[in-house]
Amino acid sequence: MIKADFVTGLIFVALGLGALAESLRMPRFETLSVNPYTVPGIVPGMLGAVIAVLGLLLALRSARAGGWRLGGEVARLVALRRSGAARRFLLAFVLTVGYAAGLIGTVPFWLATGVFVFVFIAAFEWPAAEDRGRRRRVLALAAVEAALVTIAVTLVFQEVFLVRLP
Amino acid sequence: MTEGLGYLAGALVEFAAPEPLFNVLWATLLGIAVGMLPGLTATLGVALMTTLTFRMGAQDAILILICMYVGAIYGGGRSAILLNIPGTPASAAATLDGFPLARAGRAGRAMGIATSGSVLGTLIGMVFLALLAPVLADFALAFGAFEFFWLALFGVVIAGRLTALGDPLKGWLAGFLGLLLAMVGQEGIHAYGRFSFGHADLAGGFGLLPALVGTFGFAEILSVMKNPAYDLVRGKVDSVIPRLREVLRYRWTIVRSGVIGTFMGLIPGVGEDMGAWVSYAAARRASKERERFGTGSIEGLMSAETGNSAAVPGAIIPVLTLAVPGSAPSAVLLAAMFIHGVRPGPLIMIEFPGFVYEVVAMILLASLAILLWGLLLTRPMLAVLRVPREKLMPVIFVLCTIGSFAIASRIFDVWVMLGFGLLGFVLREMKYPMAPLVLGIVLGDILDKSLRRGLVLSDGDPTPFLIRPISAVLAAVTVMTIVLGIPAVRRGAGRLLGRLAGGGSAN
Repeated sequence: MIKADFVTGLIFVALGLGALAESLRMPRFETLSVNPYTVPGIVPGMLGAVIAVLGLLLALRSARAGGWRLGGEVARLVALRRSGAARRFLLAFVLTVGYAAGLIGTVPFWLATGVFVFVFIAAFEWPAAEDRGRRRRVLALAAVEAALVTIAVTLVFQEVFLVRLP
Repeated sequence: MTEGLGYLAGALVEFAAPEPLFNVLWATLLGIAVGMLPGLTATLGVALMTTLTFRMGAQDAILILICMYVGAIYGGGRSAILLNIPGTPASAAATLDGFPLARAGRAGRAMGIATSGSVLGTLIGMVFLALLAPVLADFALAFGAFEFFWLALFGVVIAGRLTALGDPLKGWLAGFLGLLLAMVGQEGIHAYGRFSFGHADLAGGFGLLPALVGTFGFAEILSVMKNPAYDLVRGKVDSVIPRLREVLRYRWTIVRSGVIGTFMGLIPGVGEDMGAWVSYAAARRASKERERFGTGSIEGLMSAETGNSAAVPGAIIPVLTLAVPGSAPSAVLLAAMFIHGVRPGPLIMIEFPGFVYEVVAMILLASLAILLWGLLLTRPMLAVLRVPREKLMPVIFVLCTIGSFAIASRIFDVWVMLGFGLLGFVLREMKYPMAPLVLGIVLGDILDKSLRRGLVLSDGDPTPFLIRPISAVLAAVTVMTIVLGIPAVRRGAGRLLGRLAGGGSAN
């Protein structure tokens, strides 16, 4: 956590300074004789400065506790990738982002949703199923749930709540 | 006062029709289910419900949202007791005594205690809402740009200080990051698109609801899937009927926790979780059976469940009177009120005099509904916890996607949901609290406009920010919160106090 804090502290410094620089570049509308205290850059600039200072404090605090020693971290991250938690996280991340950013808007909503629900359930339950019979059961149940969810969601949202679907 | 009672009676009569009562029942039940499921929080429940009900009439929609909110905070206690996992962050304190009770075979009794604590806590908070909101709204009429600037800053600073357990620096970083994120898009005075880099979508800014659905929905889905699966406490559940004797025996704990919970709710952005923790700490300090806290103390569970439920009406008080949310779910409620054309803020008692009492009536109905469901459906509801996460989470994610898209029909909002979800996940993994981030996003606009308007009014002179009476008090409290949040100062103050106390006893 100390090393992560050190890195995030530096990221916050960069973010804060970036926001400050961008705020200084914002227009001041001098030609329009706008009141100088209403220019758009004031508040974001201040916030950027505050974030940079807080980030610096975080980085300094963790550096004092030894957070700047980052050697070997990459190897540790690579090793971490093999852990069950990281695998499950990556799988969930890829599937959800693939659905929301990839499928939605390109294929019809019902199709995207059906495929997503089916693949999500199947991908997570597959490894736990030992023999062929169980695997077939997992796939069948996932397909049934995907169909039910797609029908229910489409009907409830479009017909009952009158919401527009993507 | 009598006028208020008249409005309240009017609201209750209006709600005593089949349709509103049906809405109360299903929305509260759904709220309890949402609260019970780890990964689904009250904030997400209210946010998703907002997008689903925005075609409804204002009164129906807000009734449903409040029932969802009250139900979810109550429901979170179930998984705290049975799984040792708080269903919503508000129930974290309830795990300390709830789970040991369940392991000792008294899960039913623990849920009965949670029911009585939650109902009474909600009612105590509701009474304060009815009494305090008109007074506070009247007081807030004296607020100008200078005061609102400090209020916004104070909100972020205090929320960052109190919700980041032991590490205010991370709380403040989260809060100021929220404020900065709120700066993206067109500002309110010259309509200049900040940080938009020529993108029309960015110039529209980040919508609050997609951002919240991301931080509380997508981020939670990722962390639920990352964590190992949970186990339900097996075995028979004993009687879930609350016992009157327990309520009478711990009546002072209930009243104290109710008051503390309401007060914690009132503080901007602090909300239900701190309501529970502070009530729990106070109950332990005052208890005769202190040593049993943490090992299955009925009093401990009662204080935690009363405290978090009382914070719900408490958090709605500043929403109505200042348009400043007292907690993350109430931030959504605030957004929902604006969507439905109710303008909360200091003028509420003048523009919508009956609305505060309508909200009181809604909370009363919601608390009766949790009592009803708590008595009738506790056992059947446990089936919800048996749904495996692999089957539940994809459905929730579909709802998150629809929910972010529905309000404005923009695909960009789905991207905002994904972005904020990833940001929220990373920040939470590194122990940054989410409440100040949300509060920052909500208060960014107020902070921005108030500071610039104030400077225009004073022609660039900062002194009115410091010498107007209410401003001065808010400024002093803000500075004190910051200074006392610095560990070195706190240690020094502690030593000084210790020395003073030591010197006093020597004399």
